[in-house]
Amino acid sequence: MGESWFRREFLTPRRLAFNVIFYGIHFALFAYGWYSQETNTKLAALNGLKWSVWTSRGAGLVLAFDGGMILVPMLRNVIRVVRPKLQWLFPADENIWFHRQVAYSMAFWAMVHTTAHYVNFFNVERTQVRPEIALDIHYTQAGGITGHFMLLIMFLMYSTAHHKIRQQCFEAFWYTHHLAFFFMIGLYTHATGCFVRDSAEPAYSKVFPFYTTDHCLGYESWRFTIWPGILYFGERVWREIRARQATRLSKVLVHPSGAMELRIIKPSFKYVAGQWLFIQVPEISKLQWHPFTITSAPEDPYVSVHIRQVGDWTHALGERLGAGPQVVAAMTKAAMNGTEKDEKLTMLGATRGDFVEIEGGAGAQALPTVRIDGPYGAPAEDVFNVEVAVLIGAGIGVTPFASILKHIWYRQKRGNLGSLRRVEFFWVCRDAPSFGWFQSLLQEVEAAQADPNFLRINIYLTQKISEDMLWNIAVNDAGAEYDPLTLLRTRTMFGRPDWKSIYGRMKQAIETGQYLPGTNSQLKTKVGTYFCGPGVLAKAIKEATVESSSSAVEFSFAKEHF
Amino acid sequence: MGNLIWHEYARLLAVTSSVCEWSYSNDGLLSLRRADTIWASFWGFYYRKFFWDFVGGIVRAPGGLQPSKANAVFITLIVKAPVIQILAMLLAFVILALELPIPQIKGTMIHRNFVIRIPLLLLQAFLTILFYQGTNAALWSMITAACYGRAVVLGETMKEAKDNRGKGGRA
Repeated sequence: MGESWFRREFLTPRRLAFNVIFYGIHFALFAYGWYSQETNTKLAALNGLKWSVWTSRGAGLVLAFDGGMILVPMLRNVIRVVRPKLQWLFPADENIWFHRQVAYSMAFWAMVHTTAHYVNFFNVERTQVRPEIALDIHYTQAGGITGHFMLLIMFLMYSTAHHKIRQQCFEAFWYTHHLAFFFMIGLYTHATGCFVRDSAEPAYSKVFPFYTTDHCLGYESWRFTIWPGILYFGERVWREIRARQATRLSKVLVHPSGAMELRIIKPSFKYVAGQWLFIQVPEISKLQWHPFTITSAPEDPYVSVHIRQVGDWTHALGERLGAGPQVVAAMTKAAMNGTEKDEKLTMLGATRGDFVEIEGGAGAQALPTVRIDGPYGAPAEDVFNVEVAVLIGAGIGVTPFASILKHIWYRQKRGNLGSLRRVEFFWVCRDAPSFGWFQSLLQEVEAAQADPNFLRINIYLTQKISEDMLWNIAVNDAGAEYDPLTLLRTRTMFGRPDWKSIYGRMKQAIETGQYLPGTNSQLKTKVGTYFCGPGVLAKAIKEATVESSSSAVEFSFAKEHF
Repeated sequence: MGNLIWHEYARLLAVTSSVCEWSYSNDGLLSLRRADTIWASFWGFYYRKFFWDFVGGIVRAPGGLQPSKANAVFITLIVKAPVIQILAMLLAFVILALELPIPQIKGTMIHRNFVIRIPLLLLQAFLTILFYQGTNAALWSMITAACYGRAVVLGETMKEAKDNRGKGGRA
């Protein structure tokens, strides 16, 4: 907050460009729609309705544009393919945001269009320019029926898409949003029946599309807007086919923190580190697909996701896999009790709280079938194009970095790091122990580091610490090789990180050549920040990156979305 | 997660259907996403038409539908003077005042009571279905009333607002 609306919309160059182009197209289309109706001598009879018919035609054309654009950002597979090439042109990861902008605009123009038509039909009835009454047009003709139907669908879809409702009950949003299918059908057929014509009665013909353009003078916009619809439909079909390809759940690991790690084997599934997938367990719900971040590296022989039991679906999954809340609670307790013992064992290489494996066919019920769909893009694929990668995960947002860190580690072993010279990993979380599984992963990665300067792990713990814990840390920390909380060599820091000073120092170090030995200061050093976590934090970090950018160091920022 | 809180959903619907009754608008209301009743009634002032005038009416060209004498009372209240439209608009503002609560009633019994909204919404549906522009608003108001009905049946209650919320970074 704190930032004014004007500043956000008009003083940020990219946003300004978007606003000018996006709304510019809208107003241009509106103006053209209005003008072409008003000046069309063939439609002189309709022009007797004056401003209302001009408005409705203009707004109609705008809505055709919006109706065509609304599905474009949802073409997930197409976006995944084009985004590496078009990243410079538009932020491909902001597709949902764009979808929303189109939807807002659609709501506004739908109001304009409908209002104008209410006036139109009122006057058609009064003047009898066509021999029909308003009610006929509203409720017996294709345009009226589909129009009212689309309004009702919008009423339901927009209201369930409200962020509050989405968080409460994702299912309500998910199912209602599939009304989009009927909405699109309504959109493509909205102007059927030769609605805009120079004759009193419609001019039909016997061949497709069953009207003659001699007398039917609409914009024929469906001929354009239907393509994204066909593409989207094709994509959904393809996703379904792909999801049915051989997939096997090979292993489930339950971590003491309660996270379940599903290891899935699907030979046809190819992905890049940092991407995510949709997962479906038909035994729990045949229709629901749930998004999860991939936590395995592409080099691993399996695809893994870590699932915490937080919602209906994840709880049901836990029960089904034999890792219900009781099991997890017992494990967590055991792990907590074992903490002290573990610390003595640390020197011997033991980790805190081992996971429990649940394997299929081992006496108990077999593991359920799963299907996965994906992968879908995330900006973290780009880490190898920058010299310094700053990876920041907050809370559960740390998950994509599991895959990325593993992947970096694999590539490091192969000596194939691209332009990447250093990695700074930040993990900001309230209570580290609850992410036990991630700690063990970090341990592996840290232990495997040959060059101490390549990967630096910074962990910030933001929770309030009790006095006992404080003493525990003070006593255990002094002189110990490993951090008492995370069992990493890296020390845990407490409180919130001060991003401005972190970036400021990094910039200074790079500029003086200490950070990357041998860097020629004439060259611009690219520092990419990849963040996953809450929006408030994203903003603070982004501000810090912008502030720290200089002629020698270029800081960029990318945020992941769920 | 997983459970729809019906009254919160119904609230969104109520805001939409009240503003959107096809007849009223100003900038503030537009921001509420086409709230229908107000918008509808607003236009109902200018283009006055009894929705049910086709019942027994005859079509004259030009001139349009001539309603039958039996509907004279509605013609008086809708076409000769936009009484119904005005009532619908006032009611829509009352509902909005409840839903977006104006400070005076925020947290009071009226604001926290869902039962009271159902007759208000049904009345809004009844008023709006009488005039030409109000049909969508009527339909939406009925859906909204049904959602509130569901909330009442499930025994939902309005959560106490937390005072320290939404003060990110400063709290």
